[in-house]
Amino acid sequence: MKKILEQVMNDVTASKAEGDLILSTSKSLKMSAQNGSISEYKVSSSQILGVRVIKDGAVGISYTEALDSDSLKFMVRQALQNAQSNEANPNEKMIDHNGNLSDIAAYPEAETDISLKTKKALELESEVKARDSRVSAVPYNSYSENEYQSFYLSSTGRSTNYADKIYSITSSALLDDQGKKALYYDYNLAHTFGDLQWNKVVETSLLHARNILQAKTLPTGKYHVQFSCDSLKSLMECFSNFYSAKSAMDKVNPWSEKLGEQVISKDISLEDQPLHAQSFRTSLFDSEGVKRRPLSLIQDGVLKSLLHNSVTANYFKTETTGHASRGASSSLNVSGTQFLILGKNIKPRPPKYMEVIQMDGLHSGANRVTGNFSVAVKGYLWENGQKTTTFGNITLSGNLIELLKNVEVVGDQIEASTDLSFFSVPLMFNDLSIAGT
Amino acid sequence: MQLLQSSIAQDVIFHGLSMGADFVEVFIERTQNEGFIFKNSRAEDTQSGIIFGIGIRLIYGEQALYGFTNSTDREELLRITTLLGSRIGKGAKIAAPLNFEKLVYPKIPTITDREVDIKYKLSFLKKIDDRLRTDKKVSQVMLNYSKKKQLIEIYNSDGLVATEERPYIRLFHQVVMKDGNLQTESSFGPGAIGGWEFIENLNTEENCEILLKQANTMLYAPACPAGKMPVIIDNGFGGVIFHEACGHLLETTSVEKKASVFWDKMGEQIAHSALSAVDDGTIAESWGSLSIDDEGMPTQKTNLIQNGILKRFISDRMGEIKTGHKRTGSARRQSYKFAPASRMRNTYIEKGPFALEELIASVPNGLYAKKMGGGSVNPATGEFNFSVQEAYLIKDGKITTPVKGATLIGTGPEVMKKISMVGNNLELMAGMCGSVSGSIPTTVGQPCIKVDEILVGGEA
Repeated sequence: MKKILEQVMNDVTASKAEGDLILSTSKSLKMSAQNGSISEYKVSSSQILGVRVIKDGAVGISYTEALDSDSLKFMVRQALQNAQSNEANPNEKMIDHNGNLSDIAAYPEAETDISLKTKKALELESEVKARDSRVSAVPYNSYSENEYQSFYLSSTGRSTNYADKIYSITSSALLDDQGKKALYYDYNLAHTFGDLQWNKVVETSLLHARNILQAKTLPTGKYHVQFSCDSLKSLMECFSNFYSAKSAMDKVNPWSEKLGEQVISKDISLEDQPLHAQSFRTSLFDSEGVKRRPLSLIQDGVLKSLLHNSVTANYFKTETTGHASRGASSSLNVSGTQFLILGKNIKPRPPKYMEVIQMDGLHSGANRVTGNFSVAVKGYLWENGQKTTTFGNITLSGNLIELLKNVEVVGDQIEASTDLSFFSVPLMFNDLSIAGT
Repeated sequence: MQLLQSSIAQDVIFHGLSMGADFVEVFIERTQNEGFIFKNSRAEDTQSGIIFGIGIRLIYGEQALYGFTNSTDREELLRITTLLGSRIGKGAKIAAPLNFEKLVYPKIPTITDREVDIKYKLSFLKKIDDRLRTDKKVSQVMLNYSKKKQLIEIYNSDGLVATEERPYIRLFHQVVMKDGNLQTESSFGPGAIGGWEFIENLNTEENCEILLKQANTMLYAPACPAGKMPVIIDNGFGGVIFHEACGHLLETTSVEKKASVFWDKMGEQIAHSALSAVDDGTIAESWGSLSIDDEGMPTQKTNLIQNGILKRFISDRMGEIKTGHKRTGSARRQSYKFAPASRMRNTYIEKGPFALEELIASVPNGLYAKKMGGGSVNPATGEFNFSVQEAYLIKDGKITTPVKGATLIGTGPEVMKKISMVGNNLELMAGMCGSVSGSIPTTVGQPCIKVDEILVGGEA
């Protein structure tokens, strides 16, 4: 792999251009069960190499999945040609750093026989069916394992190497009780086969599906709402635009001129924590080979920083924060790693509030420019410390930014999302609009 | 251009059969992508690339085994086939020699791909950018130009050899408008099978006017009131409601798992008698059309629902094996990295007898959804949700105040029975559909329709 990268980089520099290369490889296995047998079995090995050249100040990107020498030369030619189509941009330049960084995960484990993997994959369906006679199907179930490796090389001599292995399992329960249907699914990620929580995905799917089967609608009105950590993560991710210096540079970030101003409740702080102890795993460096470090985005409600790569940093005359994000076939962007929401001034929960456990339609029902969202939700109604009703068939609407100005911290216990990439103290959002009966 | 030596493909198929498979298929793909974003009044992110790979599928009874690689090496392809075949462990058998025959099929007409250089394209997009920026409240214009040419070859153990070249072109327009603290966006994404002439023949002036009008209207609109009410959904992208609320539920991918509320409703009344709907892969130049599907079957026009009665499911090979419903030329996949699945192509509600004004006039109090956004559905429960990009209240049969932030939710079976009036202004629109076999180009469409009652999410 190293030879391929060096060979392509020689072609780039011979053209009097700067640039960087990303080579990603992966191997995967996936199995799904249906009616007691493995209905889907998928194995793969794939690779993709992408180049970003900067020639006369203009950027061009190209990529290829074929790694023969003709394809590699064609890719470089295409990237140079693409650069000619773009105007020069003084902010597009390589970071002047070199040296190698390596982050190769090693998870000691004994080899697991395929027969055991198959048996456990089948149980993701059979165990759900066995535990409740109302289960009509387990439409989403799978076992998968993925090995990734990514190499980076820049014309300044920076190189990185990242490798990881991830196992994941999914199960679901579709319950049918006299024509009334309810579905819930759950998943789990692990770095070793032995760490997978097989029973948890089965039980969680059944637990919430059983509850949703009893779901009732609620009267239209204003409610206090607490989101589950997974739901809050989805909501916050949907508006990642607000923390992005790239979006600010593109003039689509409403917070682009709010640095130093109070943008949300002074009780809330938001940090990007790439090395968070409980997080699943993030590489130690970003897609430009910059070492990651913790970053305070919002402190006591005041916007302290946006997420930067080298280009946005040059544009805003600041330093990169190590949040460059780029795949082999994509252009340079920014993205966060693990978000951590901290709070102070803890208040008691109100006597009556909704706990949202599932949101549908965020991808289309949220406006990333305005912060407005309107989505279908399911969850539990809490009254005087008791879950009294499971609700469904209602919509919840609001503006995330306005809501965050009026949010209250209702606990100090930090909760984690299922994928261990988002952490937050419990928050209570006030006066959200619910459409129901 | 031949993507893989036919002798290697045949060796793989023979090897799969010798491992006891009932059916073996080799799918080879080479896709050339190019595109850029015209943003900040100049081209940015210009990129291009080649996707190349081979997918191998072995079917044993109702089990499908799939593998893929970027390699054309015979030994690597045989290794993957062995890996898949040994999973079943059915044992070796002698496979009979096959006679491969190249499929001849009618080609769906595409729009001419006139060769123009990048400077010409940029100057063309600059005119659109300039026109949109005539409104001083416009803070950003993003024109995302994308073009791809997908070349596929399919070999299978029925002796089929099929190839198709599929050119796609799309120009996604997005306008961001700002006035003080108010901000909004409007978008429009026409696409077709074909080349540059599609872009050049777009009605640029009209499209820009519509985008600016929508953004100006929504920028100052108050929040949509919440509650159950009748809704008139206008034509074109309004068809996303049928796509999500019903179309996905008619794919055998869901039906075979009984993960569709319609799995046992063939021949039954599942929609209002005013409604007939089709999924048609053969419409000339249309974004969702294919001459052959990703299993090498020529596409067709499939009547899904006629006068409210369920007539056909959208089926592929595995769907036919598992449910008995015949293939409809609907096997589709994003790339060689996905096994094919039954998916929609150009799916729309057929036109009815009414003018839009007649539908509006029939509503005392309700919502007019002029332009829909995206949506999603859970096929197992039929629950769907859609956002509305441009909406107005209806009072006493007349369109009145614009409102923003509306969402429609419900279940497929319920809403299909409440579509009581169908208009005569059928229009199709390009979109992307994400599902089990990846993200694929599909067309949605409908004339305006009246839904007697649906839950509208908004301000309580």
